[in-house]
Amino acid sequence: MAEYNAYEMIAYTGSRLLEDKKVVFVGTGLPLISAMLAQHTHAPNIVLLFEAGAFASVLELGLPMSVGDTRTCTKACYLKGLCSSFELTQRGYADYGFIGGAQIDMYGNVNATVCGDDYNKPEVRFPGSGGAGAMAANCEKIIITMVLEKRRFCRQVDFVTSIGYGDGSPDYREKSGVMGSGPYRVITNQAIFGFDNKTKSMMLLEVAPGLKPDDMQDKVDFELIIPQKVKVMEKPGVEDLKLLREVIDPTGVFLERQVEE
Amino acid sequence: MEAETCSPIKNISRIKYKEREFEWWGPSPDEARKIQLSKPKELRDKRTTLKEAVTNLIKDGQNLALGGFVNIRIPVAIVHEIIRQGAKDLTLSFQSQSFAADLLFGAMVLDPDRISIKRVEMAYVAYENVGLASLFRYLAENGMIEIDDYTNYGMAARFKAGAMGIPFLPVRDHGGSDMELVNRGKMIKCPFSGKNTYLVPACHPDVGLIHAQVADEYGNCRLFGPLCTDPEIALASTYTIVTAEKIIPSADMRRYPNLTEIPYVAVDAVVNQSYGGHPGLVYGSYWFEEKHRTMFRNIAEEFRVTGKKDKLKEYYDKYIFSCETFDDYIGKLPQQDIRKAADLDGGQPIIL
Repeated sequence: MAEYNAYEMIAYTGSRLLEDKKVVFVGTGLPLISAMLAQHTHAPNIVLLFEAGAFASVLELGLPMSVGDTRTCTKACYLKGLCSSFELTQRGYADYGFIGGAQIDMYGNVNATVCGDDYNKPEVRFPGSGGAGAMAANCEKIIITMVLEKRRFCRQVDFVTSIGYGDGSPDYREKSGVMGSGPYRVITNQAIFGFDNKTKSMMLLEVAPGLKPDDMQDKVDFELIIPQKVKVMEKPGVEDLKLLREVIDPTGVFLERQVEE
Repeated sequence: MEAETCSPIKNISRIKYKEREFEWWGPSPDEARKIQLSKPKELRDKRTTLKEAVTNLIKDGQNLALGGFVNIRIPVAIVHEIIRQGAKDLTLSFQSQSFAADLLFGAMVLDPDRISIKRVEMAYVAYENVGLASLFRYLAENGMIEIDDYTNYGMAARFKAGAMGIPFLPVRDHGGSDMELVNRGKMIKCPFSGKNTYLVPACHPDVGLIHAQVADEYGNCRLFGPLCTDPEIALASTYTIVTAEKIIPSADMRRYPNLTEIPYVAVDAVVNQSYGGHPGLVYGSYWFEEKHRTMFRNIAEEFRVTGKKDKLKEYYDKYIFSCETFDDYIGKLPQQDIRKAADLDGGQPIIL
């Protein structure tokens, strides 16, 4: 059995959620690695969209370090700017989007703006939305990658940067004027979550090998839906790990980092 | 307009914030148009030095737009000159920035009598996967700057509205997030569909700061790689300073008019400045110069953690204040790092 680290597990899990022949709006790091792994395996016809302007590129210069990196541009079909990338998304050309953040609540609302309850003088000022808020609004399906920790999976986020299902009411997103269908999956190295169709609240779908579904409730600060049947997360195979380590991220910039505690 | 239209966002998060009355953070659309009409529009040679461009165009109280995106084609050379000359009560506007914005924030930390920034309209300040921007954090967490948060598309659309000469653009984001509550956008009922629709106000910076690959003597610019929102920023701003890696004769520029992304009429000063985006990347010229960027970030973070300003001050003294020009700064950098950054671009094709 191949050994793998937490980042490799997240990257692999992200890749197997993606369907072929779709446009993936990718961020730097794990989202891009997931999309590239999918291209190398089950979904060769996935097309990449980068927010600084590159669309349908063939990455030939190595792994981009930024979504505006020169490396995102090689052999692109279309290369404009932020307006074009986000307008393609608004128009319905982006099937998947990956976002991250510091906190998430049970309805998939994500905070990447401030820690603390005072917007004007926050305890920690995070980067801000960047593209995430726009992606969460208008990519059709949103995949959220997070570290599974109680302080991050919280009852109430300090700030909603990226819209999820709001308060869980069925028309929340429509009343917000956004277009995408909302959070699709939340990926962590220990579990995958989805959202209950009716209540829009977070539901355990899969756990990592060796972990018990019931233990997952303790890792979040809200009531988690734990169905009777919970699958075991697929592990990356030897071939996947080889692609991740030797082809996609050979210098280990993103995959060898340790999970922050 | 129904002022009370809102998504059901209230009370989802813990956030508390000061309500603010709407005001333009720079020229209003009407003022911006008036200024444009008052300017001569003939094709004239606008080549100058950064020193002169900044002396003539940058004034206290202005809204300055930073071009590029995070560390892509960022106007570092212009920012150096602004820090050298000083400017107070500034508003900064951009979508995503990193090194160039943090340089300005750091200048304020060191000497608020030289550089002061009162507010920032923005989507993002950080170093992507490398980490947060320490000087921005320091000012924000101490309540020393007022921030107005949008998404990257929100800011892009705001510049675009400015460039289009319209007061706002409807967008399909911000609604249902706390940005709807804290920023200056507004939710309305669409008069056609009857559905909630978010509007972001136009952004007209006083001065747009742009670093381009190619410009001609009149200010026409070609941009390669991601355009970021530089065409929109240049057209929205009442004045624009362009630094360019290369200046080509206008006759050459006119051979491919489709390649002109910024028309001369939106540009007021053109400065030939190679490496003007260092340590960020400029497609076709150089890639990130990570060593320098990391060095600055570490110095900034050390200040944020310890409160000690000496190393930060040393950095500004060595790389900005003791330099007469941006070329002096480039001259002080290890030449092997500069060459490496150029090699890492891989010779991307640009058209001269």
